[in-house]
Amino acid sequence: MRKIISFFSALGLYAIFFWFVSTSALEKTIDFTIYKQYYRVILNGWITTLTISAVSLVLALFVGLVLYFMRESKLKIFVYLSEIHKTIIFGTPLVVIAIIAYYYIGNAFNIDSKFWIGALTLALYIGAYIADIYKGAIESIHINQWQTAKMFGFTRYQTYRYIVFPQVITSILPPLAGQFAMTIKSSALLAYMSTDEFLNAIQTVQSISFRYPEGFLIVTVGYLVLTIPLILLVRMLEKKLNYKVNHEIEN
Amino acid sequence: MKLRIDRLIKTYENKRILDDLTLALDDKQVLALIGASGSGKSTLLRMISGLEAFDSGQIVVNGHEVVESEDADYRKRIGFVFQDHNLFPHLSILENILLVLEKVHGRMRSEVLPEVEALLEQFGLSEHRHKKPHQISGGQAQRASIVRALAIKPDLILLDEPTSSLDPILTHEVLNAIKVLVEASIDFIIVTHEIGFAREVADTIVFMDDGKIIEHGTPEILETPQSPLLKAFLDKVLSF
Repeated sequence: MRKIISFFSALGLYAIFFWFVSTSALEKTIDFTIYKQYYRVILNGWITTLTISAVSLVLALFVGLVLYFMRESKLKIFVYLSEIHKTIIFGTPLVVIAIIAYYYIGNAFNIDSKFWIGALTLALYIGAYIADIYKGAIESIHINQWQTAKMFGFTRYQTYRYIVFPQVITSILPPLAGQFAMTIKSSALLAYMSTDEFLNAIQTVQSISFRYPEGFLIVTVGYLVLTIPLILLVRMLEKKLNYKVNHEIEN
Repeated sequence: MKLRIDRLIKTYENKRILDDLTLALDDKQVLALIGASGSGKSTLLRMISGLEAFDSGQIVVNGHEVVESEDADYRKRIGFVFQDHNLFPHLSILENILLVLEKVHGRMRSEVLPEVEALLEQFGLSEHRHKKPHQISGGQAQRASIVRALAIKPDLILLDEPTSSLDPILTHEVLNAIKVLVEASIDFIIVTHEIGFAREVADTIVFMDDGKIIEHGTPEILETPQSPLLKAFLDKVLSF
């Protein structure tokens, strides 16, 4: 009960803050009429954001794996290809990459679909981070297990397939759910390359109606609806995993 | 087993871990490698297993020359029991054993299951077969590790200090399990600190110190050590 009261009190404080900001800074009253008229465009944008994020994440899981194995390759050229990719991604804002990808790389390769170029850009971007998630999880597998696998004659593929991946899958789930939330948020930057995603749809209505605050409100709520479940999922998975780890240590 | 080791050298960070070892054994069943920690006995065992490469020299096991980088097929015929059992933590005891047989040796589960169940029964592990390694005692886990090595029907089993992380009760339990290998006439090489056990089961004892073989022979060498180093070692380990 105390927990619930504290939660709603905290929520109330935020509501007061936003009410103060909106009454002090806004001249007009809040009116969602125009947004209701354009709800289909907005809903389509929201669905595009969800789809583009899901597609990007699936692609990013694969990109991350390729980058990880390139990094671990005996062929140095693969190691450097992977490292250079990661360095560029880690050191450049996504918005810059998105613009370059759409206006230059997309054009050079004649890719017209904004959806696919957006999804691929996000996948290559998020994939760099996911490669590091894989790396951390795989390196947590004790050297003894690799040696045991080698001793008993498991091939490299069999070692990953039957020994490494089944163990790392649980430990990578929380950071992956976190990455999914980040992907959804990052997809907003694709508005800069005119992808018809959620933020772009809202901005279109904003430019027609000049009702900016309402648009930002819808955008905030729209993203939170997608990301809050993921944030809760991350916490739940971490709790479960911590319990598992502690339980195993106790035993 | 037939074992030939010729002028074996292994250097690590400018230190000779194995310093020009030579040894020849014919038709022996149990070889015990003894010596202080850091004497090179576990390293030698790993070289024999094909798990680690050496700098120079030659190891020939039952007529096969061991070459680390290309010896996956040789390793498949060698059973290995690690110091800390090294069972895969995400699999049950039964699955740990079946995984090797099914995936590496290409055997059918239905075909090998009765044999594996019988081995688990023999080593007193039947009731624990569906438990994960962290749910059983260190002694039970080490016995399961012996079953895993035995299940592949190896030409030779290598045991690397299988009792060194166990308390005396569990040590006793595991040593009894190893005696089963002796009774079943299975060839094995064991690295151990259990001198009494080595004397009882081994037909050859090799004593190592500072990367060298100082003395080797029948268990009698433990009664009448010729070298001062073995004498000093025995005085220390048998002083309490």
